[in-house]
Amino acid sequence: MKALGALLLALATGLVHAHKPSDSYLTLHADGATLSGQWDIALRDLEFAIGLDANGDGAITWGELRARHADVAAYALARLTVKADDRPCRLAPAAHLVDEHSDGAYAVLRFEARCEARSYRALAIEYRLFFDLDPTHRGLLRIEHPGGTAAGVLGPDRPRFGLQLGAVSRLAQFLDYGREGVWHIWIGFDHVLFLLSLLLPAVLAASGRAWRPVAGFGPAFWDVFKVVTSFTVAHSITLSIAALGVVELPSRLVESAIALSVTLAALNNLWPLVYRRRWVVAFGFGLVHGFGFASVLADLGLPQDALLVALVGFNLGVEVGQLAIVSAFLPLAYALRATWFYRRVVFAGGSAAIVLLAGVWLVERALDLKLLTS
Amino acid sequence: MTRLRPLLALLLAGNVAAVAAAPYAPKDDAAVLERLPSRPGDPVAAELRALRAAVAAGPGDAAAAARLARAYFDLALAQGDARYVGYAEAALRPWRDSSGAPTEVLVVQGLLRQYRHDFEGALGLLARAAARDPGSVAARAWSAAIHMVRADYARARQECEALVPIASELLAAGCAAYVDATTGRAGAAYQRLAAELARHPEASPGLKLWVQTRLAEMAGRLGDAAGAERHFRAALGFGLEDNFLLAAYADFLLEHARAAEVLPLLKERARSDTLLLRLALAAKALELPEAPQHIRVLGERFAAAALRGERLHMGEEARYLLDLRGDARGALAVAAENWKSQREPRDAAVLLEAALAAREPQAAAPALEWLEASGLEHPRLRRVATELKALAR
Repeated sequence: MKALGALLLALATGLVHAHKPSDSYLTLHADGATLSGQWDIALRDLEFAIGLDANGDGAITWGELRARHADVAAYALARLTVKADDRPCRLAPAAHLVDEHSDGAYAVLRFEARCEARSYRALAIEYRLFFDLDPTHRGLLRIEHPGGTAAGVLGPDRPRFGLQLGAVSRLAQFLDYGREGVWHIWIGFDHVLFLLSLLLPAVLAASGRAWRPVAGFGPAFWDVFKVVTSFTVAHSITLSIAALGVVELPSRLVESAIALSVTLAALNNLWPLVYRRRWVVAFGFGLVHGFGFASVLADLGLPQDALLVALVGFNLGVEVGQLAIVSAFLPLAYALRATWFYRRVVFAGGSAAIVLLAGVWLVERALDLKLLTS
Repeated sequence: MTRLRPLLALLLAGNVAAVAAAPYAPKDDAAVLERLPSRPGDPVAAELRALRAAVAAGPGDAAAAARLARAYFDLALAQGDARYVGYAEAALRPWRDSSGAPTEVLVVQGLLRQYRHDFEGALGLLARAAARDPGSVAARAWSAAIHMVRADYARARQECEALVPIASELLAAGCAAYVDATTGRAGAAYQRLAAELARHPEASPGLKLWVQTRLAEMAGRLGDAAGAERHFRAALGFGLEDNFLLAAYADFLLEHARAAEVLPLLKERARSDTLLLRLALAAKALELPEAPQHIRVLGERFAAAALRGERLHMGEEARYLLDLRGDARGALAVAAENWKSQREPRDAAVLLEAALAAREPQAAAPALEWLEASGLEHPRLRRVATELKALAR
């Protein structure tokens, strides 16, 4: 004890904290429902916490670290919570690397945080790594988000870090959902085929039980306008009431009804029952398609504080996608309307093919079978 | 408690690793990523294991927890590794509010507080420990050390006097000599302490190492370079690991244009920021190709500390800015801030030199006043002070 008492005097505070204390470097890229993260954790600290030097020779090799990758990820990720709008995200390791910092080698754990909310206004981080072993440990956090970069120092007294993504992300949110809407109409074959089935006859006029080319562009345009508008109004109504949770329908019923709508619309081209009032058909079945869009929106996750932004954004996205299809279709169909190719191959053949495909969908969806691999 | 065994040979092969630009996956399983400061087979590791086991066996056992925390703290001093301070804090966590903490815990808590530069809080804890256990050498000795850092020489002397009845003669004499040597009586203090050391060959190597280091510093300030060299050699001869001794000897070598000798002394010790600073200074003086690398790594460590929001080694940072980056104004700002909490000769030195380099004698006024009041014998500092005063006129 006396010897130690003497050494005390050797204390020269400036010289004592001669070495960098324990830090980890945590970076999160917050852009969308899945955040990607990188966590640099000193091998010295991991050694102290879980033991890496398997053969006890005082050196940690890549092989020794590699053998413990699963343990490193489990240990670290269990001590981190990421929440988007108060809902925890699931953390999963993505890659294991190493890096050198100024004070030695670090394990680099790349991971993903999968959040329920597709879009969110608030991110919260709760950090608990090593605090039980070393209360002077700090987590140096950096969050890169569309509105900029945020940084914080996390310690036992301040283990939480909250970030309001705020106004900047409102527009981003809107555009994000808009993009999803466009994307969905483009990859949603059933919606596209339904629309096409109703549009194919727009450049033709029903004459008895047969179709003839229309005389001018005007009538064709107005016909398309009526069909598209009523389809849009109808699916907007049901999309909204479903997204707001006013009405909920079983998705199997909705999907089957959509397939049925496609089948009937195409059949009507082959054996016309309805011509002038196709917009009524578009409206009626549009109501069904709206429920289909709503289930996609639900899968994306709706931000509770920005429901309207998401809803309007998604819906407008769907309309933009639709308009793109229509504006590509109409001039082409109009130019080709008098040809044998259009009337026989595109119109009759296309409709028949749609009937066939939609019929298969109908059976699949109604009976919960898998006939086609998509 | 036994003294920690020398670790020198087992230390990190701290060649300053090239800092990789991006994370990577090594190709070879045998690639060594990190060398640990101690191996399971060495005595320190064994001692720590035993202490940890004792704490695990009795979670409420204050004496065991204090011993473990103390061992970690000593390791932090020996190696210059702040991680061990964190481990010490964790060991004492059950007594965090300190109201019901036993004496031995209070002492170590005091040491940890002073480490965080909470000198007031540290002195409070140590005073409580000393009041409860008047025989606590550690509480008195550490209080004296903190008073010295704060340049409160009257109170430091009181603590040294309180050591006389409870501590060994050599320790009490060393304490008094330490104060005297800083307050204008270095010649007499040196003679007395050297004589006291000769009378106590039975003292522990740790205490003798400390006395030799202090004698070396005193001899150096008195202009006896050969004597200083002799004392440093004697201190190194104990084979104990001591970050402070290495830094002091490196400073001595640098001051006497013997930078080439610093390299073998510190080349395995770049892990310690203080020693990396000296290594960089030596490399720069010798114009070695690795100098820019050392300087860059040192800069990164200060940047990392700033990221944490901590500036606990401002004295070193000021020295780095002044001597390695040529940033006199930046160095002056940091040195002036440092002087507010730390007032040892080396803190004064960097403040005076930075003020001179920045040609702002006014900024050095507090250190100049201190130099006058303390009466410290330090030829180099006196020279700088004279130049500053000439500049002010």
